[in-house]
Parts: sequence; structure tokens; C-alpha cells
Amino acid sequence: MIGARKRNTLLAGLAMATVFATAACGSSSAEGNGGDGGVADTIKIAQVQDQTGAVAYAGVGASEGAELAIEEINEQGFLGDGVKIELEKLDTAGEIERASSEMNKAMADKDVMAILGPTQSQQAATVSPLVGRTKVPTIFTQAGAEGVVTNDYTFRATPPMESYYEPVLDHLKAEGAKTISVLYNATFPTFALLGKDSVPQWAEDRGMEVVQSLPVEMTTQDFAGQAQQIASKKPDALVMLLIAPQSVTALGQLKDAGYDGQVVATSVQAAGNISEAGDDANGLVYPVPYSVAFTDESSVAFTKAFEKKFDKSANPYNADGYDAMWWIAKAIKASGDSSREGIQKGLVEVAGEGYDGAMGAVTFEGNDARVPGHLVRWMDGAETLVN
Amino acid sequence: MPVQDVLNAATLGSIYLLFTLGMALVWGTIGILNFAHGATFMFSAFIAHVVTKQVELPFLPVVAIAVVVGAVMSTLTQLLAFQPILKRSKNQHAAEMRILIGGIGVAAIPLALAQRYTRSSPFGFQSTYDAQVYEFLGLRITTTAVIIIVTGLTIGVALTIWLRRSRQGLALRAIGVDAETSAGMGVNRPALALGTMAVAGGLAGLAGALLTFQLGAIAPETGDILLIKAFAIVVLGGLGSMLGTVLGAYILAAAETFVVVMNWGTWVNAVSFGLIFLILLVRPQGLLGRKEVRRT
Repeated sequence: MIGARKRNTLLAGLAMATVFATAACGSSSAEGNGGDGGVADTIKIAQVQDQTGAVAYAGVGASEGAELAIEEINEQGFLGDGVKIELEKLDTAGEIERASSEMNKAMADKDVMAILGPTQSQQAATVSPLVGRTKVPTIFTQAGAEGVVTNDYTFRATPPMESYYEPVLDHLKAEGAKTISVLYNATFPTFALLGKDSVPQWAEDRGMEVVQSLPVEMTTQDFAGQAQQIASKKPDALVMLLIAPQSVTALGQLKDAGYDGQVVATSVQAAGNISEAGDDANGLVYPVPYSVAFTDESSVAFTKAFEKKFDKSANPYNADGYDAMWWIAKAIKASGDSSREGIQKGLVEVAGEGYDGAMGAVTFEGNDARVPGHLVRWMDGAETLVN
Repeated sequence: MPVQDVLNAATLGSIYLLFTLGMALVWGTIGILNFAHGATFMFSAFIAHVVTKQVELPFLPVVAIAVVVGAVMSTLTQLLAFQPILKRSKNQHAAEMRILIGGIGVAAIPLALAQRYTRSSPFGFQSTYDAQVYEFLGLRITTTAVIIIVTGLTIGVALTIWLRRSRQGLALRAIGVDAETSAGMGVNRPALALGTMAVAGGLAGLAGALLTFQLGAIAPETGDILLIKAFAIVVLGGLGSMLGTVLGAYILAAAETFVVVMNWGTWVNAVSFGLIFLILLVRPQGLLGRKEVRRT
């Protein structure tokens, strides 16, 4: 009898312990995903971006920027005493399939509260619907094409290039250009849109004539033919929308062909990507969402902090990661909730107000960042602000 | 096409030729389709880039560094990857398949190293060499382009003659026809294979250096793009024919230049490879390939 009572007591104790344990787990789970409020001591953010592959510079650059932001957030106690943000890097290696599988992995991890999503448009567009279904707030950096910011859980910290490219045409008009040629990589979605549609339209709006439009492929490596065609047309300016290695070659071959008009390019040429062109790149003008030449207070603060931490100059990809991570931190603070739902709500709230970041004053169209951008001129290995 | 476009096609064809020669030599003689050739090309230029970051060098030392690096890399690839695969494979067909995969594996290593170091940004040389532009009767050509055309044609013709007339060339061609019989006749296949791979690697290094001078900079992935073109050139020219490779390189370049002149920029690959496809429909063995040749 006594033995049976003891056994019943033991079973009851086990049952109680199980109930408490389950409740505790449930509470933790609810706090993690349900948006019941509260900020966890450790908030895990996954960075699912290229760390290797052809566009690794964007992902690795964003990593450095994010690491700086996390260091500042944690050291300042921005989210409260003892609250830490942790970053887990998952390499998409330049592959769409890998991006999809790594995003699935990050989303399946209940500890991951938000994601820095792929930098390449094709990768980002592929995983975007998945983000909407699994409801893990994801901030894309770069990935400027359409079809990336498609639902309430997808955000973009880097303004699409076309949103700050138009001032380039104002600059050309101010410089007295009447005729322009367009040389563009038609396989690169952002450049295809700009080169085929936007730039010709903006030029027409300003009374400039597009005398030549030369599309090339992603695999084009030699531009001798195009350079000579451009030199023979003698346009006042050339809009060059090419990826980094292509632009180095094109600039050299344009010079060899005898073209001496103004060349304007894109932010792809930033981050020192054009430095290998040497003197051929002198005078190149391009719009950037961030440059070390920016004088906005928040940009200067970022530039200095980055140089101090990494002992090198910051680039637009660093600024992407930095602003994205601070956006998440501000979102958590705004909603007072570090769960996935809380961060999503906070991101929307912060986007509604905008913020000052590495890229200066950032505003939003929906979940999509916008910056005024500035034109910079490359001269002797450094960028200087135009105007 | 105007003369300037012919000149452009000649330069582009010589670039393709320089890159393809080493690959064609190895594939057409010792039967190794080396998919690491593009990585050897890129990594040779990459090492020269790393060296010239430390010390600015003239043209020839840069080229020499790339050639040596290419030869060493290719020799090591043969010694550490392809030779063991050949030894362990039951038959030649299995060996060829494994070498193909092995080449892709080998290529991944230098590619990853260069990508990590450069963050996939373009890289060039810090050199005292400064290309001059010559203008003659309205035609423009740079010193680098002249060097590339002369070097490409000279090496292409020299290799063709060497393979046809020298004893080593005869031995190599014998391996290509029947490795076992040629070994029975006293041909030292491993030694010749090693030498051929070293020469091919040196050619890849030479192409890497000259192309980087010509383009200003290349990216870690540049070799992969050229590899596909080289593959098409060898097949078009006819496997085993160096003269066919020379022809194939200039035909592909002429087709691409024509597409550029017509401003069909996004159709370059489609038109060029479509043309090759059509030629191969008529001559499956390639332009100068021989039907009766049976490789190892």
C-alpha cells in the first residue's frame, strides 16, 4: 500500500514536471515566433549570402558591415543590458539552388529570428516567396531587380540602382552632353532594365539623343569592337553598365580606340572594383548609395568606425550590411519584441519613419529603401563627390 | 567586314588560340581533356598579380612568372591527380571520365583561393609596361594586340610543325592513336605525358599573362568562360589537329566579331556556337580532324 502510494506520488511528480517542462518549452517557443513580446537575451540573425563565388565581394562586404553594427549594438547595450545579437553566416556560393537550401536551413532553425537574404537578384527572387510562406523577416541587400520585395516579410536595405540613377542624366545634361551611347550587359537584370528602357527614356526627357545602344552578354570579355564603334560615333557621353571585370577592359579599350568623351558607370564600379583600370578610369563618374566621400554625419561616423575596426576603407557593400543590421536592431527596439513577428512589425515601423545610416538619410517605399544617392568621380584611386 | 574589324577578329582569335593551344595539345595527343586548364590559366595570372602587387615588374618578367607557375601547376596536376587516376582505372574509357571529373575538382581549388583573395574583384598587373597604340591608315592596334597575334600564330604553327616532324611529336601522335602499341614500340608514355602537361601549363600561363595585359584585368572566373570556347574550338578544328585548332580559333573569333559589328551583342554565343553546330553537322570530325584517328 505504502509502495503503491509512493509510486503514485512519483508518477504525479513526473507528470507535474512534464507539464512544467512543456509549459516552459511552449513559452520559449511562443516568445521565439509568436510575437508575444519581450526581447530575448540572445538574438540570432542568419546571413544567407555569397561568401564565396563570383559575387562574394557583396556578401563578404555585408558581413563586415553587419559585424561592425553588431559590435556597436552589443557594446552600447542598445537592446538592453546583456542582450546580444549573434550572426550566423551561411554561404550561398553564388548558386541559386544553394541559396534556396541555405534559406530553408536558416528558416528551419527556430532560433533564427531574422535573415539577411541573398545579394544576387536571381537568388533573392527565388527565395522571396518562401520567405512569405515561412514568415521569417528577411532583409535583402543589393538584389536590385523586381520580384525580390514581394510580401510583408521581405525587405530591402539597398535602394535599387534605378531609384538613384536618374541624376546621372542630369549631370550629363549639365555638362552639355547632347548625344549619348549606351553600352550595357543585357544579361544582368538591373543593367538590362536601365540600358534598354530607363536610360533612353531619361535621356529623351532631357532632350538628349541616344545615338547608339550596344548590348553585350555576361560572358563578353573583349570590347575592342564595341569600343571602336563608340569611338567612330563620337557621342558626347557614354553610359557604361557593365560588371566589374568588363568595365576595366572596356575603359582600357575605349581609350585605345581613341574615345575621349565622358564615361558614366554604376555603383558596381565602386568598392575599388575599377582600380585595376589605372589611369584609364580617371574621370569616371558613377552614382553610389554610399561612398567614403559622403559628408552626412551618419555616413562619416560609419566610415570612421569601419576604418578603425578593419583598418581599410569602407565600401557600399559594407554599408549595406551595417544599415541592414541596425535596421533590425531598431526594429526590435521599436516593437519591444525580438520574435520573428515582432521584428517584422518593427521593420515596417522603422521603415515608416526612415533612419540615418551609413548611406545617409534612408527613406522607404513600402519595405524598399530609398536614398538620394550622390555622384562620385574616380580620380587617381579615390572617389570625390561631384558638385 | 571593314579592315579594322578583321584586325579585331585577328586579335580575339589569337587570344582564343593562345588559350586553346595547351588544351588542344594535351587532349589531342595524350587524350586528357583537362578541365583544370582554365584554372591554370587564371591562377598563373593571379600569382603574377600577387607578385606585382609587391614589386612592379616589366612585361617579360611578368610573363615569365605566369609561364613558370602554369607549367608547375599543370605538372603537379598530372603527377598528383591524372597519373594516379590513370593507374587505378581499369580501362581508358573509365580513366577519361574520371580525369574529366578530376580536372573539375582540381580547378575548384585555385578558383576558390583566387576568389577568396580577390573577393572575386578583377585583378591585373602592376607593371612598368604601358601598351602603345599604333594608328595606320585609320586602323588602330595596340602593342599588346600585336604581341598576342604574333605569339599566337607563331606558337600555333610551331606546334603544328613540331608534332608533324619531330620524333617526340611522332611519339605523341602515336600515343594518341594507340597508347599500348606505342608503349610496346618504346614510347615512354608517362614521361611524355608529364612533359606535354608541363608545356600545356606553360602555354596556359602565357595566355593568362598576355590576356591580362590585353584586357587590363581578368576575374577568377575568366578561365571558365574561355574553357567553353576552347572546347568548341578544338571540336570545330578537329581533335588531334593543331592546324584545325588555329583555324577554329579564328573562325569563332570572326563569327563573334561579325555579331558585334551587326550589333547583335546578346547573340554572340548563340550565333557563334550555332555556326559551329552547323559545321559539325556537315563534318562531325571537325574541319581538319581525321575520321580514322582513334585516340587512346
